[in-house]
Amino acid sequence: MIQMYELVRISCEEVLPSVILFIDNELPDENQYLIFTIHFQECPPCCQVMEHERTTIALMQKLLRNSCNEEAPAGLDEKIRRQTDQLAGQYQTEFFSQTTITELTMDGYTSIHVTQQYTEQVRHEFFSDE
Amino acid sequence: MGVTYALMEPKEGLGEVAVVDRAKESVAQKKARFERDAMQFTGQLYAAALRYTKDPQDAQDLVQDTYARAFVAFHQFEPGTNLKAWLYRILSTTFINSYRKDQRRPQLSDGEPEDWQIYEASSHTSDQGRSAEDVALDSIVDLDVKEALAAMPEEFRITVYLADVEGFSYKEIAEIIGVPAGTVMSRLHRGRKLLRESLAQYATDRGFNRGDSDV
Repeated sequence: MIQMYELVRISCEEVLPSVILFIDNELPDENQYLIFTIHFQECPPCCQVMEHERTTIALMQKLLRNSCNEEAPAGLDEKIRRQTDQLAGQYQTEFFSQTTITELTMDGYTSIHVTQQYTEQVRHEFFSDE
Repeated sequence: MGVTYALMEPKEGLGEVAVVDRAKESVAQKKARFERDAMQFTGQLYAAALRYTKDPQDAQDLVQDTYARAFVAFHQFEPGTNLKAWLYRILSTTFINSYRKDQRRPQLSDGEPEDWQIYEASSHTSDQGRSAEDVALDSIVDLDVKEALAAMPEEFRITVYLADVEGFSYKEIAEIIGVPAGTVMSRLHRGRKLLRESLAQYATDRGFNRGDSDV
């Protein structure tokens, strides 16, 4: 399998525009990762571009994650719970009976007649804005 | 042979798949499932809502509206798929429909290159190690980051946030904001570049830029 991959060589011109996809883990398949990884091993300048880009993106992500982590105001969860309660209360439930009849008839030496009937309560819940 | 499958991350949200018969679920069961599964993301949704609205009260209202819509539509959510992405999609739609101040604002699609390949490096010569810009980024403070992000056009701000803070894939972001994956790539690339330049400017303006002699 590895030998098959190693037959594939791509040029710097093909690698460089997709460096971002490599870093973001967005190349179309694992084959592509191998092809890119092999290229980076064999081409220090491309590897340097990739490492530089990856370091910068990682730094930006760290800055963003450290600053955009505001806590939700106290009481937000409670408000959402109350709202959910209220919405759940707007569901209306109706019950209706559903009757199933199974009938089996056989003719032969002995004749068998089976008739089964049962009734169940079916619950139907639906949301009502009214 | 020394080749690694680096960067392959595990798929998110598939760890625990409860079997739920949504057709037979009662309202009380649905509510319990909603509170258990969906409400674990309130904090993250609030921080995301702040990126959309830029105002704490609006952000709180937006999250509440999002959860109201999510609850009523919860039977449509396929258990075992990505609940967080589903909630973000509702957040995004709710914002666009009800909160965006300038409702008729065009979606920037005119002139936006579908071709995302605008990565300028076509040769090796441009980047040699860490630039002065990168060094300046080290001295950036949290407030700068928030301001710089808030100042960016919405398309770029949200895309960068969803990718670089929330870690959503291009495909997930495309579904959340309702644009093609190619557009996500282009917005992400341009957004990151804008943010990087903007932060470097903050550092320079504050006199923190020490130059690149110390690296």
